[in-house]
Amino acid sequence: MSSRFDASEASGLHDGGRPVLECRGLRKSFGSLVAVNGISFHISEGETYGLLGPNGAGKTTTISMVCGLLEQDEGEVLLDGTRFTPGSVKARAGLGLVPQELAVYPDLTARENLRFFARLYGLRGEDARRRIDEVLLLIGLTERADEVSKKYSGGMKRRLNVGIALLHRPRLLVLDEPTAGVDPQSRNAILEGVERLADEGVGILYTTHYMEEAERVCDRVGIVDAGEIKAEGTHRELVDIVGEFDQIQLTATGDLAAAVRALGEIGAVREASVRDGGIDLITVHAPDVLPDVFAKAAAANVLVRRVEVKEPNLEAVFLHLTGKALRD
Amino acid sequence: MKSLAIAEIVLLQTFRQRSNYFFMIVFPALIILLLGAVFGSGFRPALGVLDSGSGPLGESLIEAIDALDALDVTRYSDERGLISAVERGRVGAGLVVPRGYDETLRNGGSAVLRFFTQPGSLVQRSAVEAAAAEQNLVFRSARFAQSEMEASPDKALAAAEQAARAVPGVGVRVTTTGQAQPFGDTGRFDRGASTQLLLFVFITSLTGSAALIESRRLGVARRMLSTPTPAVTIVAGQAMGHLGIAISQGLIIMLGSALIFGVEWGNPLGAALVLIVFSLVGTGAAMLLGSLFRSEQQAIPVAILVSLGLAALGGSMVPLEVFPDTMRTIANATPHAWGNRAFEELIGRNGGVGSILRELGVLGAFAAALLSLAAWRLHRTLTS
Ligand SMILES: Nc1ncnc2c1ncn2[C@@H]1O[C@H](COP(=O)(O)OP(=O)(O)OP(=O)(O)O)[C@@H](O)[C@H]1O
Ligand SMILES: [Mg+2]
Repeated sequence: MSSRFDASEASGLHDGGRPVLECRGLRKSFGSLVAVNGISFHISEGETYGLLGPNGAGKTTTISMVCGLLEQDEGEVLLDGTRFTPGSVKARAGLGLVPQELAVYPDLTARENLRFFARLYGLRGEDARRRIDEVLLLIGLTERADEVSKKYSGGMKRRLNVGIALLHRPRLLVLDEPTAGVDPQSRNAILEGVERLADEGVGILYTTHYMEEAERVCDRVGIVDAGEIKAEGTHRELVDIVGEFDQIQLTATGDLAAAVRALGEIGAVREASVRDGGIDLITVHAPDVLPDVFAKAAAANVLVRRVEVKEPNLEAVFLHLTGKALRD
Repeated sequence: MKSLAIAEIVLLQTFRQRSNYFFMIVFPALIILLLGAVFGSGFRPALGVLDSGSGPLGESLIEAIDALDALDVTRYSDERGLISAVERGRVGAGLVVPRGYDETLRNGGSAVLRFFTQPGSLVQRSAVEAAAAEQNLVFRSARFAQSEMEASPDKALAAAEQAARAVPGVGVRVTTTGQAQPFGDTGRFDRGASTQLLLFVFITSLTGSAALIESRRLGVARRMLSTPTPAVTIVAGQAMGHLGIAISQGLIIMLGSALIFGVEWGNPLGAALVLIVFSLVGTGAAMLLGSLFRSEQQAIPVAILVSLGLAALGGSMVPLEVFPDTMRTIANATPHAWGNRAFEELIGRNGGVGSILRELGVLGAFAAALLSLAAWRLHRTLTS
């Protein structure tokens, strides 16, 4: 699987880009509950930024402030470099929000839902008609466009939910858990769509509590818990911040004990042990270590049949940062 | 205009629900038909009777009236009670058979039946007159027989004629009391149609708040805010949509009842104004309900209870004239009472716009208060 997490790729592509969105020190309380406690991040053109966190972390609250639906207690939101507040109506034309809930009318067809929101986005006449057809194609609902949406499958409803936010070709697309409760096929369609939009230069804010999704579509991820971004960066950076190790599992035959002694001498290897039919290694950065591992194993007359590298994932990072699992 | 798009959606949401066709068309038609059947031709006019010791002849007069079967006879024990019942419209007319009626007549004197009526209570009046005339006839025959025993047929005839002339008999003195009863000479469905119009416009408005609640519950209302659409436009669009629902319901009943039951709504401009202003009241109430409740399941029972309660209090179930004084004062707190009075004026008394200005003003004030409260509340729920 090609990863969008490669550090060099991510920074090379986006660091020079203009920030589409900038959040500075956002804070929001509901009564005595601090839902968002000083969140700052920025998203460049064509960059996909993920907010990864468990239920109640403050993702939706953050998004509501980003989209001007909720007035922050403190901090500011800059959209294309301009201060954005709940009163900024015109600036919303550059913003597409996919709410966490299915915000579509069940008694209306997909086309009617799209037509309604097209009007709210200021699209009219032939322009609107053409764009609605494009979006229907994009979300794969052309065939069933004139059926009331309550008859759709969960995945189709989700796709319509996403489609509405694409009508006006926003510069910033905000998706709040867009794949909640959908089948793998629809999920894949949504994720592919997000990737395509990012390639077209749309800035994307993506929240999820699915680690695999964040790993797949996000260039950078902010790990949120209890209203704070605990850590932020590319996948690699995050993993490195935490100092997680890779695990290398060798399936091998020969004098495994001798091989373990030799492998233990490699600087980056922290731990080496014999396992039934193979050797387990804990190393700092597996890709850098593998050539040495093969060399030492060969020198010890051990035949390596299979190598499995387990990268540390964001789940592990989250666990490390907060002491709890991402999903319960 | 974006608010129009929003209003259109509210109407679509409502009219895509099949059940609403039943509640907005079939149901009101059935109720108007039923009321027409009960209070239209089959309805027996009521006569209040006070018999303050009139004796056997008085008693037989009352029995004769009762036996006509055209009237519902209710007895009263004092004159004040009877007159007030006539004024309130509880009975269409009142008859007082005076003390000593029997004695007066037997002694050849002249008895006067007093008859209190509201203009238009013709049935009661003719029934009483018929009974009295019959009693007169009996008396004449009696006198005739008496004279026959003394004289020849020729003389008897002359004597009978003379006797008939001389017989003072029973006279009915009619006193008109109270205001003219509205709807006195209108079609049998007219009153039911106008009271039910108000009831249904209000109940349909309030249950229509489901559309607003659905928008809020689904998050579509907030989603609208994420588009370049100001919150006031969203509130205005919702208001227009709900007004559309109320006016549709009103027009369905007005036009439908005119076509099917031949109901006449009086001055067209007046009727249209009452409908519009009352619909605005319904819209305000609907939006308030829609911004207060989180789920349709919570709101609908409240909508129905409030609508039926206000309709009952405001004279849309039982006519206001039948209410005791305190209840009539309380009724003034309901928009329905003012709407009913306006329609009474237009349909029952053929009034014009000029004669319902007070009612329109009060309804306008209801609408303004509810709409501004609802708009403020909805704006707040959307933006926080
Ligand atoms: N309108 C509100 N009133 C009171 N508390 C709220 C409100 N909105 C959110 N909260 C609280 O703020 C905290 C953060 O909620 P938020 O919805 O932002 O979390 P989230 O990260 O989006 O969670 P999830 O993954 O479940 O969607 C939660 O504790 C929530 O209960
Ligand atoms: Mg959320």
